Amino acid sequence: MRIERRLRQPWWLTVVVPVLSIAVAFVLSAFVLLLTGHPPLRSFHRLFDAAFTGNGALSETIVSATPLAFTGLAAAVAFRMNLFNIGGEGQLYAGAITGATVGLLLAGSPSPLIFAAMIAAGAAGGALLAAIPGILRAFFSTNEIITSLMLNYVVGLVLEYLIFDSHSYLRDTSGFEASVFPQGKTLPDEATWSSWTIHGVVLPLGFVLAIAVAVLVWVLYSRTRFGFEVQVIGDSPRAGRYAGMRTRRKILAVMCLSGAIAGLGGASQTGDFRHQLDPRGLRAANYGYTGIVVAALARYNPFAVVLVALLLGGLQNAGFTLQGADFPAGLVGVMQGLILFCALGGELFVRYRVRFAW
Amino acid sequence: MVHQHFRLVSPFTVAENVVLGDHRDVGRSFVLRPRAIEARVEELSHRYGLAVAPRARIWQLSVGEQQRVEILKALYKDARILILDEPTAVLTPQEAGALFETIRAMAADGRTIIFISHKLHEVKAVADRVTVLRRGQSVATVPAAGATPRSLASLMVGHEIEAGRRQEDANEPGEAVLELEEVWAAGDLGVAALRDVSLTVCAGEIVGVAGVAGNGQRELAETIVGMRPATAGKVRVGGRSVRNGDPRAAIGAGVAYVPEDRLGTGVAPGLSVASNVVLKAYRKPQVSLGPILRMRRIRELAERVIERYDVRTSGPNVPAWQLSGGNLQKVVLAREFSGEPVALVAAAPTRGLDVAGIETVHSYLRDAAARGVAVLLISEDLDEILMLADRIAVMYEGAIAGERDARVATAEEIGLLMAGGGD
Amino acid sequence: MVNNSLVVVVIASGILFGTPLLFAALGELLAERSGVLNLGVEGMMLMGAVTGFWAVERVHAARPLVLAAAVGVAALAGAALALIHAFLVITLRANQIVSGLALTIFAGAAGLSSYLGNDLHLSGKPARYQFQEIFPKSLQDLPIVGPVIFGQPLLVYGSWACVVLIALYLTRTRPGLNVRAVGESPAAADAMGVSVPRYRYAHTLVGGAFAGIGGATFSLSITPQWVDGLTEGAGWIAIALVIFSFWRPTLCLVGAYFFGAFKALPFALQGHGVTVAPELFQTLPYVATIVALVLVSSRAARLRFGAPAALGLPYAREER
Repeated sequence: MRIERRLRQPWWLTVVVPVLSIAVAFVLSAFVLLLTGHPPLRSFHRLFDAAFTGNGALSETIVSATPLAFTGLAAAVAFRMNLFNIGGEGQLYAGAITGATVGLLLAGSPSPLIFAAMIAAGAAGGALLAAIPGILRAFFSTNEIITSLMLNYVVGLVLEYLIFDSHSYLRDTSGFEASVFPQGKTLPDEATWSSWTIHGVVLPLGFVLAIAVAVLVWVLYSRTRFGFEVQVIGDSPRAGRYAGMRTRRKILAVMCLSGAIAGLGGASQTGDFRHQLDPRGLRAANYGYTGIVVAALARYNPFAVVLVALLLGGLQNAGFTLQGADFPAGLVGVMQGLILFCALGGELFVRYRVRFAW
Repeated sequence: MVHQHFRLVSPFTVAENVVLGDHRDVGRSFVLRPRAIEARVEELSHRYGLAVAPRARIWQLSVGEQQRVEILKALYKDARILILDEPTAVLTPQEAGALFETIRAMAADGRTIIFISHKLHEVKAVADRVTVLRRGQSVATVPAAGATPRSLASLMVGHEIEAGRRQEDANEPGEAVLELEEVWAAGDLGVAALRDVSLTVCAGEIVGVAGVAGNGQRELAETIVGMRPATAGKVRVGGRSVRNGDPRAAIGAGVAYVPEDRLGTGVAPGLSVASNVVLKAYRKPQVSLGPILRMRRIRELAERVIERYDVRTSGPNVPAWQLSGGNLQKVVLAREFSGEPVALVAAAPTRGLDVAGIETVHSYLRDAAARGVAVLLISEDLDEILMLADRIAVMYEGAIAGERDARVATAEEIGLLMAGGGD
Repeated sequence: MVNNSLVVVVIASGILFGTPLLFAALGELLAERSGVLNLGVEGMMLMGAVTGFWAVERVHAARPLVLAAAVGVAALAGAALALIHAFLVITLRANQIVSGLALTIFAGAAGLSSYLGNDLHLSGKPARYQFQEIFPKSLQDLPIVGPVIFGQPLLVYGSWACVVLIALYLTRTRPGLNVRAVGESPAAADAMGVSVPRYRYAHTLVGGAFAGIGGATFSLSITPQWVDGLTEGAGWIAIALVIFSFWRPTLCLVGAYFFGAFKALPFALQGHGVTVAPELFQTLPYVATIVALVLVSSRAARLRFGAPAALGLPYAREER
């Protein structure tokens, strides 16, 4: 078997291969289901129904997809420049914290003001956190994979501390249950983010925001000088430096942008869905890591990220809905993993031509 | 095989590099015995005149010493046939002489040596027989005794060529354009790579920087164009001091740079030819409107470059890594010249190119000088420098060992300076 | 009694808690030395934990045999998972980071390990057989060395043996030299006749096996039950640990126990009546890793202590 690099990549390959990968992944999942005594077709049918076609399923899927769209965009923005920001998880937490704080502080103000403030605060929180691995990478050549990963843990622990172990502003200390079952203070009604209903499908503000961010990122990366520099530096940092590009500033800028987007996801979690700071829920959800998967599947294209987020969000949603005795727990992770493996393997066929010598 | 680009593991010691691999014949053992290995390495290095310390780490060695390790690797495995690919590219003339002694000793032992070189006088000095290859085919095999550099060169190129150095009178050099004043710079390993370097290149002049690789030439180029910060001293262009360590400032001052690492530095290999053409110009108003790029303009510019410079490629959207070395260099040169530079720093511009490519680059360099650009040519190929330069500066251990007028200097004189016998 | 003092308790527990980290880190160290970055450690550990637990429940034989079989099964599970990663990144040249993350998602909490744990009804009861202390009580009661050295389960002693073996392997054997070359300069190793893919496969698989054993340490010794997501991020810490230890096995041991001690500290303090918010303490090892990493990344340090130069990069002979 010989593997040689393709000279030209026909455009249809970049669509066919991912779709085919997903198909193969489904086949493999069916295999796993069969092996463990579950009926595959029925399971898939239930999955699909719970994800997209059932009553209110699409709205629920959008709820699951929104954070994935944000973390997916965050990962895509950074990975395009070969900056492996694994810290989306922590940056989302940071955005949730800052968003919740602002939402609580501005109680009584008009809603649009609160939304704007929460959005700004969420972005700022995520950006500031991402600046740490950004600075360490740009100015100290420290590998951003591990630093951003470590910070996930640090911020996660801070998040838990704020609600479970301290008497912080964010903790709900009223009511006699408060000291036994710690939980976050509920945000005022005016801080609940709006949503629009079209044909029975609920579109929360966060989802609309995510789409807007996707458009902005696409324009930024394909049509502006900033995007050109990102392309060059991502391809060859030395060439970027040679061309007079400010590589270190760009690294910091891209990390902060990535963190800001993830932070927006955190603010959306607080404003759209949870209406309080919810450490257990956020930590269990793994939005940040799943977002990286989303970005990789979407091959770092912003619009594809939103689509893939819907797909994986559908899977997540179905997983929650169908949880029970007769539906295998953990199937969601297995399927996500399989989809990703197949997509990664399929990449080979996009970049290389495989020849078999008979 | 002793490659042109060494296959050595940098953090390992000499002994570890020599013994690396699974050798079926030479005592294949699971456990390593360091002392026995070192003893054998010492024995081999004394026998063949390849002095190197077995415990030294590769990153601590000079390039010439590293080459000795490569040869020791082959000898340790008791190779009967050795292939040496351009071995003297990294050696002074005197070191090259020592290498030829080593080769003769190995041949006297009954080993067979295949010596690949484009330096015709060397080939004559060391070989018994010479085979000339052209375009991948063997053209002729002649005994070395009867061949002359000119006869070999004509076999290589296919027609009689006029070898030799610049005969015509150089243009009157103009004003000083590029000036280095007592420049010091640190190398990658913390040691000073440039020591108190002062150099001037005038408009229309070609100054050649000669020297064995690893004596600061790379750092010199990088410091001038801002890719390496100077720790002391100043770089001036047109009389004005250029901001230290800032490539953008150097570009803005009109310094063009053709780096020796074409694919790794001069070009973004995964991006299209069009993107590479505007690699430095994308900020200019013709190419972008504020923060937004003018995509159509970029395409047009690229198409024009491809046509004017005869770049062989199927289109401006082809990724750069697909281009051959010569075509890639054309793109780089085209880009650098289109910026209308006042000074050009060219580092090893003809490395890896075929004879036609070399001639093209040389003609571009001469044209640039004729148009008044101050050209600094850094090259390990002494013949190339003797052919093109007006003045030659020799670098040794980070300092300028001496400057000579290229028209009268002899190779021996330059070689002496290259080896450290400075002024 | 000095053996009840805070220091001794923390050190002894630190060693125990650090053992799964040590196993997983040793495995990742081997993989990274060959140039392969495997971020799927958490997933491999969980698979090792669940399969090891399953083996203990299902295999009927004498206690030592069952435990040995369980460790073997855990190692196999880890290696099998690592095989997926190895195939993707070595043969198919996929991005190593994404593949490793995919592995964690596939096999981690809410993935295959959870699937198996539920389907096989493994949760809710302690392991039938567990690794316990093996030295007699009299030795365990010795001051200080008693609990610290003699009071540990067999797996801890196994981990010490592994540290020594791996250290010797890397520095004193020919294959050890070869694998280091593969990680530093695959082109040089290839030119010297060392098969880069073969070494990478071998070390990635062994790395997975070690991670599996690390996971089994949780379900068969420390916890010792099966709970979804049992390892609580130990796999990620192990990855950091490899860097923290500058890719040296002996430092891995020190680092693992350092991390383990920090985990044990809040509980030990509680036993002494001091309540400190555990979360803030627990951030310290992570912060320490970041600091260590910054120090390692300076140019001079990188030459002496740095990562294998080819780490994370696929090797393609024709693209040399």
